[in-house]
Amino acid sequence: MTPAMDLHQYRAPQGGYDEAFDAAGEARPCWSVAKQAVGSMETSALLERQRDADRLLDAEGAGHLVHELAFERAIDRHGVSASARVESRPWRLDPLPFVIDAAEFAVLSNAAIQRMRLLEALLVDCAGERQLVRDGVLPAALLYSLPSFRAHTAGFAPPRWLVHYAVDVVRAADGRWRIVHDLTDAPSGLGYSLLNRAVLARLLPDGLRAAGAAPISAHADRLRRSLTASAPADRPSPRAVVLSSGPAHPTYVEHSYLATRLGYHLVEGADLVMREGRLWLRALDGLEPIDVVYRRVEDALLDPLEHGHQGGGSGVPGIVWGARSGHLALANAYGSGLAEARELRPYMGAIAERLLGDRLQLEQLEAGAALATMPVFTGLGDRVLEPRAVVLRLQVLNGPDGHFVMLGGAGRVLADGDAPEWPTAHLAKDVWVVGTTAPRPVAVMAPPQVDFGPSVPKRAADALYWLGRSAERAEVAVRAARVVGVQLDQDPMLTSVGDGGWALGAGALLAAARNEPVPVTPELPLNARLTASLQATVSVAAQQLASLVQEASSVREYLSKTTGRVLGRLAMAHNLLLDDDAPSDELDSVLVDLAALAGLVMESTVRGPAWRFLDLGRRIERALAVLGSVEGALGADAPPMALQPLADAVLAANESLVAYRRRYRSDVDLDALLDLLLRDDSNPRGLAFQLDRLREHVAALAWSQGVQLVQQASAAAIAEIDDAVVSGRRVSLDGYVLAVRGPLLALADAIGQHWFADPVNPTMMGGF
Amino acid sequence: MRTFRVMHRTEYTYGTAMSDGFTVARLLPRNTPLQTVRHAAIDVSPIPDEWEESLDPFGNRVVHFAVHHPHFSLTVVSHAEVGLDTGELPTGEVPWQHVAATAAAARGDLAADVAPFLAHTAQTPPLAAVGDLTGDIFTEGRGVIGAVQHLCNRIFTGFQFDASFSDLSTPMHAVLAERRGVCQDFAHVSCAALRSVGLPARYVSGYIETVPLPGEPKLVGVDASHAWCSVWAGEFGWIDFDPTNNQMPPLRHVTLGWGRDYDDVAPVRGVVIGPPSGQSLHVAVDVSEVF
Repeated sequence: MTPAMDLHQYRAPQGGYDEAFDAAGEARPCWSVAKQAVGSMETSALLERQRDADRLLDAEGAGHLVHELAFERAIDRHGVSASARVESRPWRLDPLPFVIDAAEFAVLSNAAIQRMRLLEALLVDCAGERQLVRDGVLPAALLYSLPSFRAHTAGFAPPRWLVHYAVDVVRAADGRWRIVHDLTDAPSGLGYSLLNRAVLARLLPDGLRAAGAAPISAHADRLRRSLTASAPADRPSPRAVVLSSGPAHPTYVEHSYLATRLGYHLVEGADLVMREGRLWLRALDGLEPIDVVYRRVEDALLDPLEHGHQGGGSGVPGIVWGARSGHLALANAYGSGLAEARELRPYMGAIAERLLGDRLQLEQLEAGAALATMPVFTGLGDRVLEPRAVVLRLQVLNGPDGHFVMLGGAGRVLADGDAPEWPTAHLAKDVWVVGTTAPRPVAVMAPPQVDFGPSVPKRAADALYWLGRSAERAEVAVRAARVVGVQLDQDPMLTSVGDGGWALGAGALLAAARNEPVPVTPELPLNARLTASLQATVSVAAQQLASLVQEASSVREYLSKTTGRVLGRLAMAHNLLLDDDAPSDELDSVLVDLAALAGLVMESTVRGPAWRFLDLGRRIERALAVLGSVEGALGADAPPMALQPLADAVLAANESLVAYRRRYRSDVDLDALLDLLLRDDSNPRGLAFQLDRLREHVAALAWSQGVQLVQQASAAAIAEIDDAVVSGRRVSLDGYVLAVRGPLLALADAIGQHWFADPVNPTMMGGF
Repeated sequence: MRTFRVMHRTEYTYGTAMSDGFTVARLLPRNTPLQTVRHAAIDVSPIPDEWEESLDPFGNRVVHFAVHHPHFSLTVVSHAEVGLDTGELPTGEVPWQHVAATAAAARGDLAADVAPFLAHTAQTPPLAAVGDLTGDIFTEGRGVIGAVQHLCNRIFTGFQFDASFSDLSTPMHAVLAERRGVCQDFAHVSCAALRSVGLPARYVSGYIETVPLPGEPKLVGVDASHAWCSVWAGEFGWIDFDPTNNQMPPLRHVTLGWGRDYDDVAPVRGVVIGPPSGQSLHVAVDVSEVF
């Protein structure tokens, strides 16, 4: 029986401030709001809410993007071992919100704005007059020793140093709020806040409404307006991008989410190039000018020309110089990281007095200070609600109408012994500001940015293309393993049928599904060979799922929300396939998920170049798979006893068995089978159908080389296949496969060369 | 006044064509109280598509240039002609602690222009081993000139010039532990040592004359860029010294510029964009006196 949860089970520590109960043990009004919003405080109800929250976060992409895949064995197509990627942890969302009264939040909000103004003034001074240094407020010896002080920013005068600022604050045990740390370089947390709120709004729609929590979703629009406002003056309709260092970045989930919310391209360093003083995006149709970069890449990795040998080769060479010359805006400006340096904290009070003529509204948290607590749902142990400290991250924008603090934020729960700057619990609370009388934000139309609809960064097209190929390869491997496994389960004697002809053909079918030549291991008995081959095929499927998820995570903004959920399931399936010995049920559910993915790609993806490249990858891979399965299973002249089950296997592997039976209602006839798989343009699993789609794609891309190669493949695909057998092979079938496969492989090569070749990471030239 | 000519050629060759190349060059010498630049120019091949000259925060001359068409190599050649007056050491002395106290209490322009060179950086860290180097030199009441001369001599005699030992990424603790390195390392050690006792010190980038005077040995560091150190000695201003050659003041040194460390004044820093390929680097420096 689940113990009933009531407030008496929550014990706030003695002597410290608690957000839920005052010193007399009376519930504070904000806690009552939180409690009412959640409704039932039964453990089982809370657990269910948390599960729902997990599922919703997963659907938003937080699942597959940060999923801890067992990637150790996976090597991506760039030859980079995925285990080298930084591990990012998923977080869970406490269904209990952190409720703050509007009057109290206003105090925090004013303090955050003061802090942002202070840091902006600090940056202006350090790059300009250096009055702080001249007056002895800030020792030059300290300033010039900070790695985050970019001495070469002297003379920089960006229109805005900070467009976006975040600050962590926490209530100490004495009840007063303190500053934990500033985030000025590439402040994170805004996307997480929006994500968390989106989840709680689904989870507790009535509670949210009844509590009257201030909405925060308009903050993304405000960010867009602020970014637009930071553009160089002569760009009335500026183009902006979100710059990320890629899926290995610990806050990549947020990069991807914000790009989607802002409607900007999510780009990486290699997607951009500086030329003629302007910044350009490498898109499929050529270079497109960029005016504003919302950078999620820290100062130290932004420009290899600036950071010399310290940052490796990442970043965009020359981007800092371009920003200095005023041809593009970086938000935040290069060098902003200085303002968050912890070494400056002891001087902040004096700096505020010197630059603002004002006292700091919030003081710095002393190291080791005791913190206030609040009830946190951990779902562990007897006491379901634990008293924990929660650090609150506020988001501030400097936009066209001044400084503005988002009426909400992300609460980050501290585990025992955590430094407030670095919570390890991976548990978040959505922050609700209640009792606000502020007028609802008026929607101001920002000038639209130039329509990016048809443009796709090369790197994104590349990833989408490989996403299509991996999805198809995974499906081919899973289906082949399943078909052969089922045949073997139903009739274990099959291995000896037709002098082992079935086993040889089935082995070759599996090898083709793995994209391998037919294995020659005569020392093993046939059934052992087949078992090994089945396992190898399943692990190839798992590898392909891993690269599918990996490719998808870098182009999340092109995929629908529901797609995110399917990807989360596939990421989990990947782990199961690696672990399970007899995964035939699992294989079925993977096929269902892959079918769901394929369906979403067809039904929920806007038909543009992005979709086209995804589908190109899929069609090429499927065409190759049809050829491989026919060649593998039917290329050898198997005895008649073996031919029937092999033909069934090929048809099933290409999901055409049912179609065949409905059409021919007969035992398998080889000519009819080949006709259905190779020439029938109404069979969506057949070769002819794939060639038709490929023809449409290359025509739409107006790409003559592609058109020629597809024509060659199509011409070869209508050749006749006769019964001639030489040395045990159906030579006519072998010749047919070779003739069609050649131009298809050439097409795959040409796509890479023609469409994706450009973006490469910059290389440092050797020094001396 | 003597006249020196400098030629500095840097050639990168790539295994395949690069589509873009970005370079920041600090190869144009600056004027100093002892140095008059009569002529200085940089030639680049292929001809860059972008070119911009400016001064950096330390007053050094910087050229940003970029090539945006396919190129298999990049050659940067600088030519300069400068007039040099021979520096002389001041005749008086001032206790080094007075100088350090003045620097620490600096306000106004002094704080903005001199105090930055008190800062330890990643390349000039305040290591304990640096203290071992200075402990018995910077004693109570000792004159700053004499103490720096002593430090210069100690580094010259205590460290071995070994071009095979270090490169640009060799950390200072390795240099201090092995007592080996090249001129850049010795300049960094000097800066770290002086800053650790509170004296402002600049890392100076430049060249030293190639051709030895009759009867004198060829000096070390002639085939490449050279580097040395400059100390702020209060009322005497900035005084250069070359720990690699134990010269104070230096005699045939052409100054390019100065900063806190090598990274502030790297003569050539470049990045290329193109397919992965090998690259080779060839550097030649020639400095000679014009009579």
